Amino acid sequence: MKTVIQIAVALAAALLGAWLLPRYLELFTLINATVFVSMGLLALSLGLIWGFGGILCFGQTAFFGIGGYTYAVAAINFGDTTLAVPLALLLSTAVAAALGYLMFFGRISDVYMGVITLTTTLILFKFANSTAGDEWNIGSAPLGGFNGIPGTPPLNFPFDPADQLAPDQVFVVAVICLGVCYALAKLILRTRFGRVAVAIKENELRAELLGYDVRLHKLGLFAFGGFLAGLAGVLFANCVFVSPTMFSLSYAGQVIIWVLVGGIGTLVGPVIGCMLIQALTTYAGTLSSIDPNLLLGVLFMLSVVAVPKGLLPTASNLLARLRGRGDA
Amino acid sequence: MSVLLATEGLQMRFGGVVAVDGVSLAINEGELRCLIGPNGAGKSTFFKCLTGQYKPTAGRIFWRGRDITSLDPFAIARLGVGIKTQVPSLFDGLTALEGICLCRHSSEAEARRRAMRALERLGIAALANRRVGLLAHGQRQLVELAMVVAPEPDLIILDEPTAGMSAEETSRAADLIRELNQQHAIVVVEHDMQFIRAIARTVTVFHQGRVLMEDSAATVFADPRVRDVYLGKAVA
Amino acid sequence: MDYAVVVALQIVSGVATLVIVSLGLAVVFGMMRVINLAHGEFLMLGGYTAILSYGHGINLWLSILLLPPIAVGLIGAVVERLLIRRLYGRMIDTMLATWGLSLAFIGGVTMLFGNSVTGISAPFGSFAVGRFHVAGYDLFLVAASVVMSLVIWVVLKFTPAGLIARGTMQNAEMAAALGVAPDRVYAMTFAAGAALSGLAGGLIAPVSGVLPTMGTAYIAKAFITVITGGAAMLTGTLVASGLLGTVSTVFTFLTTPVFGEVALLAVAILLLRLLPRGITGRFLRRAL
Repeated sequence: MKTVIQIAVALAAALLGAWLLPRYLELFTLINATVFVSMGLLALSLGLIWGFGGILCFGQTAFFGIGGYTYAVAAINFGDTTLAVPLALLLSTAVAAALGYLMFFGRISDVYMGVITLTTTLILFKFANSTAGDEWNIGSAPLGGFNGIPGTPPLNFPFDPADQLAPDQVFVVAVICLGVCYALAKLILRTRFGRVAVAIKENELRAELLGYDVRLHKLGLFAFGGFLAGLAGVLFANCVFVSPTMFSLSYAGQVIIWVLVGGIGTLVGPVIGCMLIQALTTYAGTLSSIDPNLLLGVLFMLSVVAVPKGLLPTASNLLARLRGRGDA
Repeated sequence: MSVLLATEGLQMRFGGVVAVDGVSLAINEGELRCLIGPNGAGKSTFFKCLTGQYKPTAGRIFWRGRDITSLDPFAIARLGVGIKTQVPSLFDGLTALEGICLCRHSSEAEARRRAMRALERLGIAALANRRVGLLAHGQRQLVELAMVVAPEPDLIILDEPTAGMSAEETSRAADLIRELNQQHAIVVVEHDMQFIRAIARTVTVFHQGRVLMEDSAATVFADPRVRDVYLGKAVA
Repeated sequence: MDYAVVVALQIVSGVATLVIVSLGLAVVFGMMRVINLAHGEFLMLGGYTAILSYGHGINLWLSILLLPPIAVGLIGAVVERLLIRRLYGRMIDTMLATWGLSLAFIGGVTMLFGNSVTGISAPFGSFAVGRFHVAGYDLFLVAASVVMSLVIWVVLKFTPAGLIARGTMQNAEMAAALGVAPDRVYAMTFAAGAALSGLAGGLIAPVSGVLPTMGTAYIAKAFITVITGGAAMLTGTLVASGLLGTVSTVFTFLTTPVFGEVALLAVAILLLRLLPRGITGRFLRRAL
């Protein structure tokens, strides 16, 4: 019941935002907002696999970048984004599944998994960075090296390449995607598969002793996380251009920060954490008296020391204590 | 009576240490077997070989005649083996009922039915909606037992189930084991002599990784070698 | 023939660089299980110490070898006291806090010194090997890596301080029962690790541009090397550096520097897949 309410609220908020914000925000702000939304989806993907699956992936940006790059290359080559989107999602999910297979069936855990996933996104980053020059084309799409792929076509209406979406329409699509993906994640967590995945995070041995193949469950959840991140990448490609930065160490770290600040263990927390930090970073960038990195850095350190569980769990714990029941 | 679980020359070596050294035994359907022995005798290592947590370095394990030596723990569990670990492995963040409902089943309704039945059998139905992480140690042991019992396994293996229990809890646990034995074969790895005397029928004594003797409880406890082994005297 | 010598020297110097930049992290992670994401910035601060002191007329060798470890060691001691100490045992919180620290350092240094790249020209010039030239400083770095490793080994194995450190890492309660103050051991170990990172920064200042973000180029490689090395702090790092550094340099020779980097990363993944507990999780387990 609680889940149904949460999903309903999320979808309602998404629809409201999709309807309301384009009316009141300037175009520039709207495009920025779309970026925030795509980042929020990326945060959701990590929040799901980490908070509920116990999988700390340092390289969620790998699937984010693969989604973006595949979309851009496919859209340029096909001249139509209709098939580019599913292709991007397919590839990001497939790569996540392959990497997941490598790790989980090799019984690799925590720190070592972090290193492998970090390494993966770094490999992609270095590779993408080196693709400047004409020999690095896929079909008619230049990979562009560290400059990225110029002129990524925005989404068009299905099978109608002439009818491209305007930025405010892209925003609507993005917000709806975020809402739907949240709902999807919530629903999956309610299925037996999802509950077993959460149980695995609680106690892997016991889940195994109950007869569940732990490796398969982690793989499934991780692949779904790759799907979500890939979708975030597609949305990102629509409002910012596709470049190796999508794979970078800096972004990879930021995703983790968003989830940490928002709170591990909820789905909404990471999204909110992401929005907050994005807003803060943008604001910090406008300050001339203090370096934005310094400001953010000090803030993170303070938040770890003062609010160690992350913003949302701390807030919800306070609420729960007021209500008299420990829950998250 | 058919043989449920059998080992043949099971060996587990860690580097230079041979913890389990050629153990062959057989558990029959409906049997109640205790594995005893002093610390370091290899009981817990043997337990982990049975559950699939360790892959034995030599020897084989059979389930109803089928070789299961190389199976993962989840595959062994699916065969109908319920496993209760020494340190309770539980889902602290879930309620007792939620955790037990996760046992493999055909439908959600069936899962709930089995879960409630298990809780009632163990007398802890009142704990159904309590968060497991908040329960006392003895209660956690019982919840874990309920999780083990719910899928109605053919065999239950318990590793030191009375660890950390008071005398009263231990005696109640003994009653419980005897009662569970009416429907499941049980293998108990234990230390606590009182507990073993209360439940034991057939006892296998471990010593330095091997089986020292295997006989009825009365015979084993009367044997001077067993006493010597526990007191640390050298035994041939 | 001379080509082979040059390649061999390049490989050795590549391995040496990896050792140098990883040792500080190895001490902190290997001995304290603390993931210090600001390790790259300790390196950067060491580099800046070297540049600034040399720029103020201090002798080159003092600027590179003496001042960076002292300065960064002190900074490390302060960081440990104010930040790390509150977060022991909380690996994730430590990661977040040190990431914040890293950002703060980058931001602070940018504010103080700006974004431009400065440098020191490498001493020793170059000398000829057949048709090729080899930078003398590369050989110096090889020597430095050997000395650093030896000093760590000697300290850990033969000095009372090293024994206390190893004992505390293995069992802090027991050490406390024996009269050791674990807090002080942790503080000194973290400071030592920071000092090593600072020294690394000083050492590579002549061959790398010194700018506020220079640390980010090394943190990933150092992290990967240390983890791939496994539990044995010194041996693991050395072996992992040897393997990964060799692969990387060879591939750089065969293809491009980018593929050299990619090869290093790919080999690390392969190693971890085969040896999930790192190299010294399986081999040389009881080494230091």
